[in-house]
Amino acid sequence: MDRRNFLKILGITSSTAMLSSCGVDKANEKIIPYVIPPDEEVYPGKPLYVSTTCTECPANCGLQVKVNEKLYHEQRSLYPTKLEGIPNHPINRGGLCARGQAGLFRLYHPERIKRPMVRDEQGNWLIITWSEVVTRIQDELQKTRRLGKINTYLSNHTNGTISQLKNQFCQEYGFERLPDFELFSHANIKKANQLVFNKQVIPQYRIAKTDFLLSLGADILETFVSPVEHTYHFSIAKKNQHFRWYHLEPHVSLTGVQADHRIVIYPESEIIFLSYLIQTLFRESHQKRNLPFKLLRSIPTYSLEETAQQTGIYQQDLQKLVGELSKAENPLIISGGISTAHAYGLEVAVLTALLQWILGITSEVVNFINARNYENIGTFLDINNLLHRLDQNEIGVFFLSKCDPAGQLPVDWQFLEKLKKASFSIGLADCLNATVRACNMILPLSHTLESWGDAQPFDGLHSIFQPAIEPQYDSKTEGDILLSLLNNNSEFSLYYKDYLFNNLKSRFGETNTSKLLQNGFIRTAVPESELSINLNQVYQFLKNFRIPQVKRTELLVFAPSIRGYDGRSTDLVLLNEIPDPLTTISYGAWLSVSEETATRMSLKDGDEVEVRIADERTKLPVKKQKLLPENVNLVQYGVVRLLSGSYDKRSGELFWFIKDIILSKTGNHVKLPVLSGSMDENGRGILPHVNEHAHEKEGKPWYPEHEHENYRWGMAIDLESCIGCNACSAACYVENNIPIVGRKEHLLGREMSWIRIQPYVQDNESIEFVPMMCQHCDNAPCEPVCPVYAAYHNPEGLNVQVYNRCVGTRYCANNCPYKARRFNWFDHRLPEPLDKMYNPDISIRDRGIMEKCTFCIQRIRAAKDKAKDDNRLVQEGEVIPACAQTCPTKAITFGNLEDKNSKAYKLAHSEQAYRALEELGTKPAVNYLGKKREHYEA
Amino acid sequence: MKPENMKELEYNSILEQDILDAMRKPHPIYWLALFICASFFVLGMITWVIQMLKGMGIAGINNPVGWGVYITDFVFWVGIAHSGTLISAVLFLFRAKFRNVFNRSAEAMTVFAVMTAGLFPLIHLGRSWLFYWLFPYPNQRQLWVNFQSPLVWDVFAVSTYFTISAIFWYVGMVPDLAIIRRFTSGIRKKIYSFFSLGWTGSLKQWRHYTRLYMFLAAFATPLVISVHSVVSWDFAMSIIPGWHTTIFAPYFVAGAIFSGTAMVLTLIIPMRKIFRMEKYITVDHFDKISKILLFTSLIVAYSYVVEFALAFYGGHKFEESHFLYRLLGDYRYLYWLMVLCNVILPFTLFVGKLRRNIPYLFVLSLFVNVGMWLERFVIIVSSLAKDFDPYNWGIYIPRWPEVFITLGSFGMFFTFFLIFTKVLPILSLTEIKEEAAE
Repeated sequence: MDRRNFLKILGITSSTAMLSSCGVDKANEKIIPYVIPPDEEVYPGKPLYVSTTCTECPANCGLQVKVNEKLYHEQRSLYPTKLEGIPNHPINRGGLCARGQAGLFRLYHPERIKRPMVRDEQGNWLIITWSEVVTRIQDELQKTRRLGKINTYLSNHTNGTISQLKNQFCQEYGFERLPDFELFSHANIKKANQLVFNKQVIPQYRIAKTDFLLSLGADILETFVSPVEHTYHFSIAKKNQHFRWYHLEPHVSLTGVQADHRIVIYPESEIIFLSYLIQTLFRESHQKRNLPFKLLRSIPTYSLEETAQQTGIYQQDLQKLVGELSKAENPLIISGGISTAHAYGLEVAVLTALLQWILGITSEVVNFINARNYENIGTFLDINNLLHRLDQNEIGVFFLSKCDPAGQLPVDWQFLEKLKKASFSIGLADCLNATVRACNMILPLSHTLESWGDAQPFDGLHSIFQPAIEPQYDSKTEGDILLSLLNNNSEFSLYYKDYLFNNLKSRFGETNTSKLLQNGFIRTAVPESELSINLNQVYQFLKNFRIPQVKRTELLVFAPSIRGYDGRSTDLVLLNEIPDPLTTISYGAWLSVSEETATRMSLKDGDEVEVRIADERTKLPVKKQKLLPENVNLVQYGVVRLLSGSYDKRSGELFWFIKDIILSKTGNHVKLPVLSGSMDENGRGILPHVNEHAHEKEGKPWYPEHEHENYRWGMAIDLESCIGCNACSAACYVENNIPIVGRKEHLLGREMSWIRIQPYVQDNESIEFVPMMCQHCDNAPCEPVCPVYAAYHNPEGLNVQVYNRCVGTRYCANNCPYKARRFNWFDHRLPEPLDKMYNPDISIRDRGIMEKCTFCIQRIRAAKDKAKDDNRLVQEGEVIPACAQTCPTKAITFGNLEDKNSKAYKLAHSEQAYRALEELGTKPAVNYLGKKREHYEA
Repeated sequence: MKPENMKELEYNSILEQDILDAMRKPHPIYWLALFICASFFVLGMITWVIQMLKGMGIAGINNPVGWGVYITDFVFWVGIAHSGTLISAVLFLFRAKFRNVFNRSAEAMTVFAVMTAGLFPLIHLGRSWLFYWLFPYPNQRQLWVNFQSPLVWDVFAVSTYFTISAIFWYVGMVPDLAIIRRFTSGIRKKIYSFFSLGWTGSLKQWRHYTRLYMFLAAFATPLVISVHSVVSWDFAMSIIPGWHTTIFAPYFVAGAIFSGTAMVLTLIIPMRKIFRMEKYITVDHFDKISKILLFTSLIVAYSYVVEFALAFYGGHKFEESHFLYRLLGDYRYLYWLMVLCNVILPFTLFVGKLRRNIPYLFVLSLFVNVGMWLERFVIIVSSLAKDFDPYNWGIYIPRWPEVFITLGSFGMFFTFFLIFTKVLPILSLTEIKEEAAE
């Protein structure tokens, strides 16, 4: 080949190569700025925040939705990608629980109802239009009018403008608006407050202001009324040196293990305890208010020995409790949950109210002025009534909105069979559930994040629902549906949004309404009123005081679940991926048994038992649960379907106990995905040793230390504040596009959580929770062993994982003593439409790549970019990782350890600070603040 | 060896004939064996491709046990390779004549074992297709490998070892290939001629040959120690209790020689029977090889005791609890089986009669192979399964890809070895003749 030919060929090949590299679609993403942006200012890359309200549970925490403009299926649009709490919201103060964080999994749920549907004669589903919906409903109403049937409207906990609209609709169309359906109706508390104070409400329990909290059964940190609010208040109360918390419960709960003193009490013996307490306080003259003698006499008297024997509480614990209670200035007594959910639950609630009264109830701790809106919520008396009427073929058109009685009511109540007897049932829901599937017509509701609306979480607080995304399917809000029916045609002249705005403006005025839209909430004044006791009513009630026959039997307790609430959140896959904090079981149903039962029946974790309750039987694998008292067996609502429902005929409160159950082994074994290897810490250095921190002798370092110029990112985690709720884990999953791997992978131990809650049983008395994530060690063992430098230490003190350099040798994960690193074993992708949730600031990792906590480096980056624009350094509080932001107790503090004034620096150098596995010399950037309170348990 | 009364030339020609007979058209059983081994090999390769396409998740490794059967196989095969080099190079420098009958096959075993071993660092990578990033090559991103990482040392060690072993093996074979060339015709003659590099057997060539051979032997000798030390530092350089201990280098080297010698026995005993080499490889030879086996078994036994003792008198709670786990925990059956195979059974080699009992040696060598595989498995897996934080404790059970790929590796090794027996001289003709002449 001569030179000329060579040059020709060279020229041709190189120009071909250059041309062929053009038109590679993947590399060129056209970023075209909007000429007319949608609402607000939208810039690609800069997120938008919308203030709205969370509806995963009736607490209605304030929600801030982060909306990103991103590419999805080749189109650019706005999508909510992260939920956070509104920073100064009176309920959650910026925190958001795990259920709240999983809200996007409901917005993008694969089983969202997409179109209105109606059943034909054969029972098959037909898709219809909204105008046909209106016509059909009118027809059915005419039919029922002729037959003289009653039309009913049932929904879940509702307040605000929509409640008004429902009333209007029901009046015009002759519907009976049934009391709202909530499984946790707190009926006994409401009835007790009615009996004692003439107020059938649930007050606001202001735990932050109390110095002595006595709780019986109420799972205040998990689901009771407003858990995030209680959790936040708890973190404030703890800062007071004199704060003490006694929690009495017959089983074991997350709330219980957090208390200073968790005392196990025999089920149903709470009234003996409360009677003893009241009588003792009077005898020792510790009461702040007196009671008439005849009233006091109707409360039975027990001696210390008798009380101890009947309740199972040690005498010295009783004495200590009484002693501390009498010295308290602002005591708060809360009964609820399991302690009011039995045959004597009403007595418990009444005695609690009475006890609170005599100890000086002040609105500071028990706030009846800003009471929770639970008036409209019905009880099981109402449900029983409804079922009876359904059975008698009395019900005509039946609206069931946003509730799932078929899924939540006990099996033996046969709701589904009875529902069929209604002439025409209409289910309104955003996702398919058991109830809606059985209706004659299904109407898709827009998710809260797609809707306009308002709520009133407690008297004096009003919050708004604002849409963060256009409805993704052919759905409507309940308000729009009702208005279209009221306006008698499908072309409504009034949208619910306008109706709502009119209502809001007339109630609050223009300025307040705009404030409401901007902040997400406004507070209004509520008239003060003096709380008074209705002595006569109380006396009439106590006259017929029933003393329980405390018989020890094999008990099955249904407990609320922090992941599932009453079962409504169990269809969100994130809340199955994240484990239950006490047992660390992720997917599947199980029965928690005590260690004694397990020994007696020779059960190992996963062995299947058959639970027999009268004629109902069910099979469940067991899990040995430490701290669970003997004879008490525990299942969670939603994880296991409620098997049989008895309720108190006086108040309508559901019983959460089923007595006299029989357990028998079936011989099968079910593999349970238990994520924790062991809950015995054995003094290994993850928890601080009692009265001793594993401080290494600080010798001179052998190697030159890292130099940090402006920033050294670090964390301080307060173990005293951490309650183990797993909200941080949920937030991290959503923020960082962490793969959801499913049950089979969990059985192999391949969960992907970057931050997790590690429970450790301490001295067989309490459980400590340690949030564990990548410690960003100064002397990281993972860095020197990566052959390709995918793990390296950046100049700001972060241990950085470079995804595109990782070849997947997994030596780094082997060498990490905290096992904080996660390997992508497969290409896990969220199925459509859940993949709309992906955070566009974070890449999605392929198989074969190692990942781990990055201290939310994308947020650090964003803050640094903003600071650079302003020509300054990042200030304290500008960077908050997802875990720290969502924590309801603010246990996680993140900051710049180079800034000696930062909170993180001060906490890291405080006396309580220690580092996990310090003796290994890894020098973590995560500092734990050790618990210093003493615990002991009866 | 050569009978006293036989003349040298006669002996040599009988030797050559015997070797050539071994290389004649194979018996159907050979084809069957080759077919089985090759099938396993192909099965292993297909499994690997599936693993690359679907993800490492089809195997059983998990969190916390990130390394399992693949790394066990890697260390196992590298270990086997070492014995070959010991026999070829180290015993050559020690002038141990008995090595002459083993050395060609042992060297072949080394080369094939290193090739097999070399695949495993690729197989266990999450993104195997990017394996070349483990090599330091100048690139436009100005990225180099992390020289602090023991895995990179592995890359150098294993590639050096392969290079040297292959060259040593080939160079040593050149005169033998020339002999074979003499007796072949057609295309085979062309191939053998090419590979014998025009060897004429002149004095000058012999002089170069012997000098080069000695040089390569000297070069390969330190590799016996260094390569497996480096591989053991994959574990010793970590912080995991059970891995992080200084005894690993000599322990693994001794273990390597131990398992390699056992593999030599496993290969040569049947080969000797099948190719009728009884008069060349005698019972005396086996006696001497078993003494190596016994000696290295004693070193390995000593290492077990030292590991255990260090854990206890060190007082380090993580080490103590780890060793209790090894002895009494989830993998205790494997541990005790390993002790039986590696310590108790080889102890019987103190008895002279057993050392000279060839069937006994064959069975024993199989046990040792199993035991040494188990040793690596127990060290790797039990250390990772229960380390510092009890929350992370887990367990590892191998799944079908690991089984198939392990079988595939054996398939690969035996395929190559079987092909070797038919295509290349299995005894070192040159050295046997040399010994006979003395």
